[in-house]
Amino acid sequence: MLKVENLHASVGDKEILKGINLTVKAGEVHAIMGPNGSGKSTLASVLAGNEKFTVTAGSVEFEGENLLQYNIEERSRKGLFLGFQYPVEIPGVTMANFMKIAVNEQRKARGLEPLTAAEYLRMMKEKSAIVELDSKLTSRAVNEGFSGGEKKKNEIFQMAMLDPKLAILDETDSGLDIDALRIVATGVTRLKREDNATVVITHYQRLLDYIVPDYVHVLYKGRIIYTGDKTLALKLEKEGYDWLINDYKEE
Amino acid sequence: MEIVRLLASLQASPMPLSGCLGSGVWSIEADADRDIVVEAGSEARLVVVDGEGSAEINIDVESGAKLRILNIVHHHSATTMAIAVAEGAECRMTQVVCSSSDSRVVASLVGREARFELGGVFVLTDGDQTSVTADVNHMTSDCVSRIKVKGVASGKSHGRFSGLVYVAPDAQRTDSEQTNRNVTIGEGRIETLPQLEIYADDVKCSHGATVGQMDSDAILYMRQRGLSLADAKRLQIEGFVDDVVLHSAVEGDVVAEVLTQLLADKLNEL
Amino acid sequence: MEKDTQKDILQELESSEYKYGFVTDIETETIGRGLSEEVVRLISEKKGEPEWMLERRLQAYRHWLTLEHPQWAHLDIPEIDFQDVIYYAAPKQKKQLNSMDEVDPELKRTFDKLGIPLEEQMALAGVAVDAVMDSVSVKTTFRDTLAEKGIIFCSISEAIKEHPELIKKYLGSVVPYTDNFYAALNAAIFSDGSFCYIPKGVRCPMELSTYFRINAEGTGQFERTLIVADEGSYVSYLEGCTAPRRDENQLHAAVVEIVVEKDADVKYSTVQNWYPGDKEGKGGIYNFVTKRGICRQGAHLSWTQVETGSAITWKYPSCVLQGDNSSGEFYSVAMTNNYQQADTGTKMIHIGKNTRSRIVSKGISAGRSQNAYRGLVRVAKGADNARNYSQCDSLLIGDKCGAHTFPVIDSFNPTAVLEHEATTSKISEDQLFYCNQRGLSTEDAVGLIVNGYAREVLAKLPMEFAVEAQKLLAISLEGSVG
Repeated sequence: MLKVENLHASVGDKEILKGINLTVKAGEVHAIMGPNGSGKSTLASVLAGNEKFTVTAGSVEFEGENLLQYNIEERSRKGLFLGFQYPVEIPGVTMANFMKIAVNEQRKARGLEPLTAAEYLRMMKEKSAIVELDSKLTSRAVNEGFSGGEKKKNEIFQMAMLDPKLAILDETDSGLDIDALRIVATGVTRLKREDNATVVITHYQRLLDYIVPDYVHVLYKGRIIYTGDKTLALKLEKEGYDWLINDYKEE
Repeated sequence: MEIVRLLASLQASPMPLSGCLGSGVWSIEADADRDIVVEAGSEARLVVVDGEGSAEINIDVESGAKLRILNIVHHHSATTMAIAVAEGAECRMTQVVCSSSDSRVVASLVGREARFELGGVFVLTDGDQTSVTADVNHMTSDCVSRIKVKGVASGKSHGRFSGLVYVAPDAQRTDSEQTNRNVTIGEGRIETLPQLEIYADDVKCSHGATVGQMDSDAILYMRQRGLSLADAKRLQIEGFVDDVVLHSAVEGDVVAEVLTQLLADKLNEL
Repeated sequence: MEKDTQKDILQELESSEYKYGFVTDIETETIGRGLSEEVVRLISEKKGEPEWMLERRLQAYRHWLTLEHPQWAHLDIPEIDFQDVIYYAAPKQKKQLNSMDEVDPELKRTFDKLGIPLEEQMALAGVAVDAVMDSVSVKTTFRDTLAEKGIIFCSISEAIKEHPELIKKYLGSVVPYTDNFYAALNAAIFSDGSFCYIPKGVRCPMELSTYFRINAEGTGQFERTLIVADEGSYVSYLEGCTAPRRDENQLHAAVVEIVVEKDADVKYSTVQNWYPGDKEGKGGIYNFVTKRGICRQGAHLSWTQVETGSAITWKYPSCVLQGDNSSGEFYSVAMTNNYQQADTGTKMIHIGKNTRSRIVSKGISAGRSQNAYRGLVRVAKGADNARNYSQCDSLLIGDKCGAHTFPVIDSFNPTAVLEHEATTSKISEDQLFYCNQRGLSTEDAVGLIVNGYAREVLAKLPMEFAVEAQKLLAISLEGSVG
């Protein structure tokens, strides 16, 4: 599904990604961990097509196509979803209106007819139940006045609405209390199928209690320095990153 | 066409001449000077659509009367609306401006406990030269005014807002708020002159003005969810002006729809 | 408030005096009243100026003749008879001053009384002073210490003679005589003022200060200040003013020009305490001043002013942010009482890219005074990413005064982010009651609340000035509560 090879990216003169290699197949869950400032969020932004970053080398293949040739909305319509670490507040723009356009763009890209108002409302109701999102929130402006937990639930709700092939969740667990964490993680798990994939970027192993990864990658200074299975997350939780970083320095 | 539909939906009666208004819904085309009196104690709704050219409309809102005005400015016009609000009377006004024009609203609160509210938007595209004036005179004590005007200047347009809140000596316990928020896009120019002239001490007066841009992070967010750049921008501008448009002083489903359509047509020029 | 307290305070008002209202009994050399080309020539001659300077003055004078007195301010200015003003007055003293002993003892006493000691050993630690009485600079202290660093700090008259190349280059470069009515008048007949030059990369080791004093009767004071901060330099400059109590109105029309070269940093602080007139509004100084600085690339200019004096104040210290990444600030407290009028504020002209400005204005009106903030924030077409934040607050004390706010924001560049906020309030009964309950007199409580209100601006002043400014606010407030 996703094949990243030797990906280098910079913001301004500063190189942040220094040769990322990552392959994600359908049906898989990957976790990317690593200390602060290692480039985790940058990787997510670059894959989503944030124009703040410049790709200086390498390639990204998504569903057999060169992903880098597309702009951010085209990538979205091809089925790439980014759950933001800090979802933006958009005053005056209601969730319902916003999502309606987004869903119909998605459908148009897949050659489907736009939803009727009734179909759309039914879908909203159904999907908001997945993350126990208060349906009142959908009549409010996007993320405006939402609590931290509500914003993250709202991200997963939108993911459910858009039904992406690949979801990259950037620190979705940050700032969540344990209940919200459970709800968000359960939502993600329920959306998982054989034909889609999830990349979870996280700081803490606790999210991985709910979303069990097939692979755990450690990102450090713009490179993936180690890949293991779910037990790696537990080891990192207990022992920190130092042992890996020290090894890496010696290389 | 849209305006005709709007007036029909409100079942507004055209007011051909100057005169007295009782309760009911009325419409006027601001194509000539007029003097209008809203009778004491009545509740009237008035739709004022600008005509080509200039006009001066004087409105007296008599004591205890409630007047709601929807003012649509979509021609090359220069309309002055001078509104005097008497004791215990109230005037709420919504103004939607989407053309090169010069519109002036001068509200005078002449009786105690009078109230004036204005919610206005102007959306300008390439070539528009537009001036919006909203002055409020607090001539006596215990009156309230609320002015909120939002502006969008895109292309090579020039939008100018000027608003003076005057508080006369002894107009104690005046409560006044004025805000003017503007967004520039492309080569738009915004000029804003929020002014206070205050001669009484027991007052609560504030004004605020901002000039800025659309939030680029919000655009990015919407695009990540698959919206085109144009859609994201349009949605954002609609969101910016919606609180004024959706709370129109003259209400009705068709009103909201027509105003939204007027602005959407305008925004298509972006 | 209790009737008795009110009476007490009103009585105190009547007895409270403008502290600096005395007159120095010193022989003064003046020229006759009136303005003509002859007078301009005479002033230039008295100052022993070179021909090029006279030419500049005459050019400005001829331009002034074509101008009319401006009307746009929110001020009630009585007609000024420009032929009834004495344009030059100088305390008589020996020609050359070589040491402190040669300064007329009466003159020295005057400045001592004002709290401005001219003797270097007695001077406030770390402040160099240029004292200007009426039309001439009396004494500049610490000149030698400053000269070691290459800093020039002297009267502008001396600078014209000794540093003509700098004067020719910079004088009138920020405020040309064509700028406005009073700038033209000043350029024609300015009699003295201070000049300061900080060379490249030098951090001026002490605060530089000019103290202006009007003494002679019937005279106008027209000083000219020019500060040039060369690349990467820093200076903090203070200006203070007082005048005797007189029944007549006296005119003060100064020009201050500041050139802030690349990466330089200038802080200009003013405590303006010209005689405000008596409680009936009789007498007092008309303070019509043009102050402007230009900032080159990466430069920073900060204006701080505490305006408590003058019958009429009319000035807008401004920043032209010409260079990329330059920034300007304006912090102002303007206090008016009795019949005083003030129309003051600033202009921030953003021309360079990434320019930033900040405006904090605190107006306090009491008595029957009128206090207006007037400001302009303009962002030129090429000034990408300009930012401004303005906050203009007004405090009203009593129901006979006025507080006004007239900002203009004009953005030609769609990347600008500009914000303006203004509020108007009064000292609440609750606040006073609270303070009274804790044992404070109403007068003290008002002083405290006003100082708190002005704190953000006062905090920008150098220490010694901040203390003086706080006292001034308290004095100016006297009798305003009722």
